[in-house]
Amino acid sequence: MTAALELQGIRKTFGAKVAIESLDLSIPRGATYGLIGPSGAGKTTAIRMIMSILFPDRGNISVLGQGSALQAKDRIGYLPEERGSYRKMTVGAFLTYMGCLKGRTRAQVNGRADRLLGRLGLPDVATKKCEDLSKGMLQRVQFVAAIVNEPDLLILDEPFGGLDPVSVRLLREVIAEEQQRGATIIFSTHVMAHAEELCQQIVMIHQGRKVLDEAMSGLRRQYDTRHIMLEPLDANANLLTLQSVPGVENVKLNDEGCEVRLVQGTDPGGAMRAIAAIVAPARIELARIRLEDVFIRLVGASGAAEESQQALRTHLQGLSTTGATS
Amino acid sequence: MSVSMRRIGLVAARDYKATITSRGFLIGLLIMPAMVVIFAVLMPKILNSRSPQVAGEVMVIDPTGKVGAELTQTVAPASIELRRSMATGQNPAAPPGQTQPTPAAAPAVGPPIPRLSLVTLPADTDVSDHKSWLIQPRNATPQHLAIVVVRPDAVVPRPQATAFGNFDLYTSVRIDDNTETTLRDSVRAALIAARLRNAGQDPDAIARDQQVTQPESVVMSATGQRSGSRLFARILPFACGVLIFMGVMMGGSGLMTSTVEEKSNRVIEVLLAAVSPLELMYGKLLGQLGLGLTLMGVYLVLSVYTLGQYSLAVLLDPMLIVYLLAFYIVTYMVFGSLMLTIGAAVNQMAEAQSFMGPLVILLVVGYSMTGIIGQAPNSTFSVAMSFIPPINTFAMMGRIASSAPPPAWQVWATLGVSCVAVAAVVWFAAKVFKIGLLMHGKPPSIATLIQWARMA
Repeated sequence: MTAALELQGIRKTFGAKVAIESLDLSIPRGATYGLIGPSGAGKTTAIRMIMSILFPDRGNISVLGQGSALQAKDRIGYLPEERGSYRKMTVGAFLTYMGCLKGRTRAQVNGRADRLLGRLGLPDVATKKCEDLSKGMLQRVQFVAAIVNEPDLLILDEPFGGLDPVSVRLLREVIAEEQQRGATIIFSTHVMAHAEELCQQIVMIHQGRKVLDEAMSGLRRQYDTRHIMLEPLDANANLLTLQSVPGVENVKLNDEGCEVRLVQGTDPGGAMRAIAAIVAPARIELARIRLEDVFIRLVGASGAAEESQQALRTHLQGLSTTGATS
Repeated sequence: MSVSMRRIGLVAARDYKATITSRGFLIGLLIMPAMVVIFAVLMPKILNSRSPQVAGEVMVIDPTGKVGAELTQTVAPASIELRRSMATGQNPAAPPGQTQPTPAAAPAVGPPIPRLSLVTLPADTDVSDHKSWLIQPRNATPQHLAIVVVRPDAVVPRPQATAFGNFDLYTSVRIDDNTETTLRDSVRAALIAARLRNAGQDPDAIARDQQVTQPESVVMSATGQRSGSRLFARILPFACGVLIFMGVMMGGSGLMTSTVEEKSNRVIEVLLAAVSPLELMYGKLLGQLGLGLTLMGVYLVLSVYTLGQYSLAVLLDPMLIVYLLAFYIVTYMVFGSLMLTIGAAVNQMAEAQSFMGPLVILLVVGYSMTGIIGQAPNSTFSVAMSFIPPINTFAMMGRIASSAPPPAWQVWATLGVSCVAVAAVVWFAAKVFKIGLLMHGKPPSIATLIQWARMA
């Protein structure tokens, strides 16, 4: 079976600025890929080229086995970051219009749109005008417009921005359903937690170049830092005594307890048992690498990041918080 | 690059439906018929109803002793009405000197006829002693309107003189333009009558001799004969120009507005996920073309109906409507594509104004010249303008609608030139449209638009 998406040697410039350089990417059918990268890295440009909204200066793009997305538009769902709707149109008419543009019949679109609207907590909005909806409601409608044609390839650019936690959960469930249906999903986001949770594979673009293309499982192994997080049962416990445990390199105190770093080659299971024997734990776990850390390392390692690592971390955490609570 | 007619049709249908159901379109659709009704039907009635009938006295000093008597007749309301009928081209059934018009003489359209009473002073009166007669309090009655002083040689010229003397007119500050004009005409008619009578001729008989009923011309052509109307022939070219202008403005501005709205609503990228930029552009062009054709259809039906009410519908050549629609379509494609380009290039309507100015001026020049070209349809200027796009369509339409239409090859040549212009403008528009749709920020200059066209 051919890949859902194949990019070979893509280059795109805007005047003197190189937006994308030598981008190769192959996404198998049915996979869920996360596209991450700092602002201005070239993610949206890459997506627009995949969608044939922009065209590369060089290189080849194959979408769902076709020479370009223009031949496969009916099988693609796209939720752009800058999304809108016709303000004066009713939600039902808007969804019907978008579905029909993508080759579905009015009856097919109406049935699926009604079901999806109900699924996303919007059962009674079909007859309302788009301008009468709140921002969050409209965003869910736009998401329905992206998947109303049952796409084989679904491209989501920051789908959770501005949504409340309940809506985020509903959207995640529907995305998971689309994945189970067999759709290939490309998911562009700043919110690392979402990428971690939803994606099997992560692609990171930085300064127009692909700097990472790894499975999430591989990332975790590759970047395992052998940190143990400990929250003591007794808040007054002397955590510095853990320095004497064999295999412990150092102990770093924090608000909740401490972070214990192990010497290279130390068995984490044995170390955890030894630590628990000295300080009774309320919680003890092996810290897993977060995508955020990978992001920071890669951006920082390039030495060309516009933001300092700390500033970038703060920025990303802020985005995570916003994405989870707003 | 292949385009899907299905998607183009869907975009066109949405644009058409969205615009035709908007309040702005309905207002635009009704504004022209409303203006015609107001200006052609209601305005004269409103103006007339607001002008009260003037009644007052006119002092006459007549050293000739012959003009005063004639003036008594020519200021009579019936005589004034008769002269107005003749001036407006109606065929009076009675000569101008006759005081009692026949019932067949329909009252002329115009302001109310003033009721003027003459106060005749002795022939040797010095007007200087009576000028103060015209100065009155505001509400004084009867109103003193004017003093007419006939010169002594007004009926019999001085010896050796080749011309007659005239008359002097002194007026009150309160006399209105209509009354003064009526008085002047009456004095003129009285002077002519007095001169003719003095020469031993009968003014009434001469007036009768001068009466020539204006016949309707019959236009002969290879396909047969039909009635003609000079007024109709004068108005028709201009009316065709206005129809094309209205249709293009309505469709073109709709294109621009909807594109700017789609950009500012950020719905454009959602659309581009479903259709290609070319499909979107063609769909929009087609949708608004349908809208313009609807508008023109409504106007044409109304026009034919109105002409039918005056038994003038037979004057309208059906081929003229075919040419009108053909020239509308090519004019719309040129100007509509340019307006669409503007819509794609800017972010807000305010930014579009600077680009729209030259286009609107071109359109106004185009439709303004149809009336002039209709008067001289085969002059060098008219023929040359028929082949210079983008306003050649207006020029040719003016010629076709005139009383001396051009040869068929020139019509087809104009259509051919217009089609080449359409192809060039649509090509340019497509290039700019593709890039402009996703551009935000500072509005581009003309040079930038050209650069985009070269880039795409």
